[in-house]
Amino acid sequence: MDIQSIRQRADLSFDTAVAKRNALERARSRQLVAHNDHLFMADATMINLVHVLKQRLAVFFVLDINNNPCEIKDAEVFLQLLVQRNQESLNQYHQLCEQLKRRG
Amino acid sequence: MSAGVLIYCFDTPHVLYHPMANLCIDLVRLNLKLPVTVVTNKDTMPFIQNADGCVLVNNQKTNYRHHKQTLVPWYNQERSSAYEHSPYSTTILLDADYLVYTDNLLQVIKGASDFMLHDRVHDLTNRNIFNYPTKSMIPMVWATVVIFRKTALAQNIFSMVKHVQQHYDYFCNLYRIDFVNFRNDYAFAMALNQLSPDRSLYSLPTAMNMLPMDAKVLKADHNGIIFSYEKFINLVTAQDTHVLDKEAIKNV
Repeated sequence: MDIQSIRQRADLSFDTAVAKRNALERARSRQLVAHNDHLFMADATMINLVHVLKQRLAVFFVLDINNNPCEIKDAEVFLQLLVQRNQESLNQYHQLCEQLKRRG
Repeated sequence: MSAGVLIYCFDTPHVLYHPMANLCIDLVRLNLKLPVTVVTNKDTMPFIQNADGCVLVNNQKTNYRHHKQTLVPWYNQERSSAYEHSPYSTTILLDADYLVYTDNLLQVIKGASDFMLHDRVHDLTNRNIFNYPTKSMIPMVWATVVIFRKTALAQNIFSMVKHVQQHYDYFCNLYRIDFVNFRNDYAFAMALNQLSPDRSLYSLPTAMNMLPMDAKVLKADHNGIIFSYEKFINLVTAQDTHVLDKEAIKNV
C-alpha cells in the first residue's frame, strides 16, 4: 500500500473515531430522564439495579444523579422508562456505527 | 409552574449576536416548545424576532475579550441578574449561541434541583481543547446553560455571583484564575465554590457539546450545523451545541 492510501486510511479512521465519540456523547445526553422529580441516567447500571430491586421489594430507594435518595413506588413504570430511553439512544448509536462500518 | 427560556443578546460594534439569537429562539420554540424571553438593549431589540417577551436593560459596556489576536467588546455583565430578569418560576438560561436540537433539557426541568449547570464539556472536534486545569485552582463550570428555579438557594447563588462580579479581581487572585477579563463561567464557578463545594449538587450529568473557536461553521439551520476544522468537514444533528465561532453568525 502506498503512503497516499495509508494517509487516506488514517484520515478515515480519525473521522470514524470522531463520529463515534460524538454519537456516544449524544446517546449519553439522551439517557437523562426525570422520574418523581429526580433525574437519572438510563444506563446499564441503573437498569440492572432497578430490575434487581423490583424483584425483591415493592418499594425501594435509589440515588439520583445528585446522590439524593428517591423512593420508587412504581418500579414497573420506572423500569419501562429507563429501558425505553436507553434503547432509543443506543438504537441511534447502533445505526451510526453500521453506517461507519459500511464506509470501511 | 411556569417554565421558559431566558436569553441575553447584545450586539457589539464588532459582532452582531442577534442572528444567532434569532436562530436560538426558533430552535427553542421548535424543540422545547417553551416561551422565550430575551434580555437586550435598545440598539439590539429591533432585530429580535419571535421572542415572547423582551426585557430592556442599559447594559454595561466595560468588558473586553481577545478574539483572534484583537481585543473586542464583550457585553456579558448582565447575566448575574438573570434571577430578577426571568419571568418564569423555572428558567433555562441560555447563551444566544447555544443551539438546541433536542428536547433533552425538558427532562432536566422536570427534576427537583433548584440550580444546575454543566461542569464538563465535549469537544465535537475530538481534540479535548477545553481541558485547561492550570487556568484555575477550582473546578470549571460552564454558565452557557443554567437551569434554575425561583427558590432561596438559586437566589443566593445569583447574589453570590453578583458579589464575585463586584470584586472580580480579588476572587481571581484568591482562586488563581488566569483570565483577567470578566467571564461568567469563572464567576459562577467561584460563587458555587463559596456556597457549596459539593459539585454533585448542581452538576448536570451530561457533557455540554462545544464547537471550538477554530471550527468554522459553514451552515447552521433548523436541521443541524455543518462545520469545518483543519482539513475535516463534519455535521452535528440531534445534538445541542454551543458554537464558539462568533463569525458563524454571518452564515446563519
